[in-house]
Amino acid sequence: MPTRRPAATFALAAGLVVIAGGTTGLLLTRHPALAMRPAAVGVAALPAPTGPIVAPPQSTAPKPVAAPVSLTIPLIGVRTQLITLGLTSAGELQVPSSTAVAGWFTGSPRPGAIGSAIIVGHIDSLSGPGVFYRLSELTVGDKVYVKRADGTLAEFRVTSVQTYLKDRFPTEDVYGPVPDAELRLITCGGAFDAATGHYLSNIVVYATEVS
Amino acid sequence: MNFRDAIRNLLMLLGVSALLLGIPAATAYASSATTGTGWIRLAHLSPNTPAVDVYLYSFGNSNAMIVLHHVAYGTVSPYESVPAGDYSVAMRAAGASATSQPVLSTSVTIAAGHAYTVAGMGPESGLRLQVLEDQLTTAPGQAEVRVIQASLKQQVVTVTLGSTVLASGLKFASVSDYQPVSPGTQSVTVSSSGGDTHSSVTLAAGTVHTLVVLDGASGLEVVNLEDASGSGKPPLGGVSTGFGGTAPHGPGSPVPWLVAIGAGSLLALTGGLRLRRDRQLNTGI
Repeated sequence: MPTRRPAATFALAAGLVVIAGGTTGLLLTRHPALAMRPAAVGVAALPAPTGPIVAPPQSTAPKPVAAPVSLTIPLIGVRTQLITLGLTSAGELQVPSSTAVAGWFTGSPRPGAIGSAIIVGHIDSLSGPGVFYRLSELTVGDKVYVKRADGTLAEFRVTSVQTYLKDRFPTEDVYGPVPDAELRLITCGGAFDAATGHYLSNIVVYATEVS
Repeated sequence: MNFRDAIRNLLMLLGVSALLLGIPAATAYASSATTGTGWIRLAHLSPNTPAVDVYLYSFGNSNAMIVLHHVAYGTVSPYESVPAGDYSVAMRAAGASATSQPVLSTSVTIAAGHAYTVAGMGPESGLRLQVLEDQLTTAPGQAEVRVIQASLKQQVVTVTLGSTVLASGLKFASVSDYQPVSPGTQSVTVSSSGGDTHSSVTLAAGTVHTLVVLDGASGLEVVNLEDASGSGKPPLGGVSTGFGGTAPHGPGSPVPWLVAIGAGSLLALTGGLRLRRDRQLNTGI
């Protein structure tokens, strides 16, 4: 019948379009969207900060150390002021409300004083990279600088980069006492659980002060 | 294209899609080996022994890893971070040749994550090198303290911190055990047959200290060494420092797409068959 022809043609055309669309969608979702990882750069992204670099503390009569005010990691382009962080009412570590700044946990030693100083920052926001986005690129020997309220500079050298499941976070290793001036930089990493909106792991960069 | 070609192309597309369904998402994150290092510091705590040069050798190595020159009584070096392993410590008279026979030597095994003090202790006539392991943990919210008695003039001392007795009748060249104490600034009293000496120390929560009783210029002195420091009240668990904006998205469910392809195929088939029949009827096949 002549009237069937336009309908049939439409059905064929529409069917092919739907097949094409379905196949395209299928192919696109077969490829997982890769993490936004930047190309690794070997050249320092920022110059080292200037300032009088102080020697690490002596165990006899250590001088009091001024509070930290900023953090610079030249190799991965991190330059951030340091806000202060405490504990939540649940006893967990507070995190910065901005994903663009890092914070020093005031319940930990000051960077450059004897002990394990703790600095944390977000790896990302809901939409893009955060201040500690490239933290996992750091390797042994990389330099980290903390400027203090009195204008002095403490220089640290990365000694280790570890990833821990949050369920098995090694509290003693990260927050426990140490005999030299050390820094621990913490951010999130590992797999992201979309159901809860949280990363499953923490990345911890350990660094020791150098003279 | 004709109907048969359309079906063939569709099947090819479906076949390719099926292949791609099997590709897994690869994820990797960086981690590096844990450092196997420990810490060691060197001390001269023999009141009547002149200054010494102190050498640290890693086992089997005749070249010293660390040399401290002219270390006088009462000196405690800062901690050095060294690879875990076996070492030897030697003391020579200050200025003596590095190849001369040491006055004293001892071996020490440094375990990863542990800290040690190697101290020249005792009177000069009975000088010995003692290896002390230093504590690196505190009870939650507390500080930890021990006493090294290095006074020869007052052979026996009792040391109290506030109202806590840290060491009772501690003999010369002895070390008390670490004890947990409440944090804060408190007065330290060293009592001996020569009288009492008072001073004040501040011990923060999460810190480990060694108080050393020394013969000072005019009576006993107390030196407060901070052995280690950490968070007095550590946070619980991990840290929530990410929102997922840069996280990889896993492959979505293929089901809705397969349903769409199926529906589209049915629609195309129906239309195609109708057109075919229509053409057959019209051309009288």
